[in-house]
Amino acid sequence: MDEKQLVALARSGDFDAFARLIEANKQKMYGLVRRLAGNEQDAEDIMQESFLKAIDKIDQFRGEAAFGTWLSSIALNEARALYSKKRQSDLKPIEEYLPGSGSHGDDHQDSLRLFDWQYPHKMMESAELKSAVDEAIAELPYMYREAFLLRYIEELPVREVAELTNQSVASAKSRILRARLALRDRLSQVFEDRYGKKVS
Amino acid sequence: MAKKCPDYIQDLNDYLDGGMNPELCAEIESHIGECENCRIMIDSLRQTVTLCRDGSEEPLPEALDKRLSGLLRDRWKKKFGKQRGQDC
Ligand SMILES: [Zn+2]
Repeated sequence: MDEKQLVALARSGDFDAFARLIEANKQKMYGLVRRLAGNEQDAEDIMQESFLKAIDKIDQFRGEAAFGTWLSSIALNEARALYSKKRQSDLKPIEEYLPGSGSHGDDHQDSLRLFDWQYPHKMMESAELKSAVDEAIAELPYMYREAFLLRYIEELPVREVAELTNQSVASAKSRILRARLALRDRLSQVFEDRYGKKVS
Repeated sequence: MAKKCPDYIQDLNDYLDGGMNPELCAEIESHIGECENCRIMIDSLRQTVTLCRDGSEEPLPEALDKRLSGLLRDRWKKKFGKQRGQDC
């Protein structure tokens, strides 16, 4: 039975059809939600609320998108609702991620060099590296984390990220870049600390 | 007037992810040939995404999975009443 048939059955009240749709999508959905949430407790709450909403709204789902995409958009709304209540700091402007560009564009500051990452895998164990990356993602303010994950983990085109986050394409683009720069910055600090210790 | 690093940074994602016009692309490439910071910036931005993709997907915790199944069944019953085919 294909997805369209399962959706039709679910909409008419067939629980088994609905359960099969959930079964096929729950792991992927948790992968996204867990990273969106930044911690396990929030991830559980978002999963739960999203699944319940999916039941409440199943009559409205006409199968224009894939069931998994529809579920993800419900989860995104739930996550956004949760995090819009929490105060989030903003990220610094794009230009300030370059050394020396924060001040007066003073040429003497050009002596400041960015730290060269080279090969993080050679310098850190993969478990340590993974937890540093997860932490850095979790530290991003929600709206940036969301844009970044949709673009690079879900691998959606910028236009779709904009649609899913109710942003203009230009604004989605800017969020994605700022998130990427902020993550780079954070990881750079971690690596600089870590490499420094190894070398000495 | 010659461009400086901050003039390029806005376009780095287009450069890294593709979809940039070839002229600007060539301009950036020539700039990173001379500018160590921008070379490092581009290399590390590329690695940032690779590292984020590397992290294996967290599996759905079994306890949560069980709890969700129960919850779904209850909510479904509330919405649709007793399931067809059941209890007959
Ligand atoms: Zn430069």
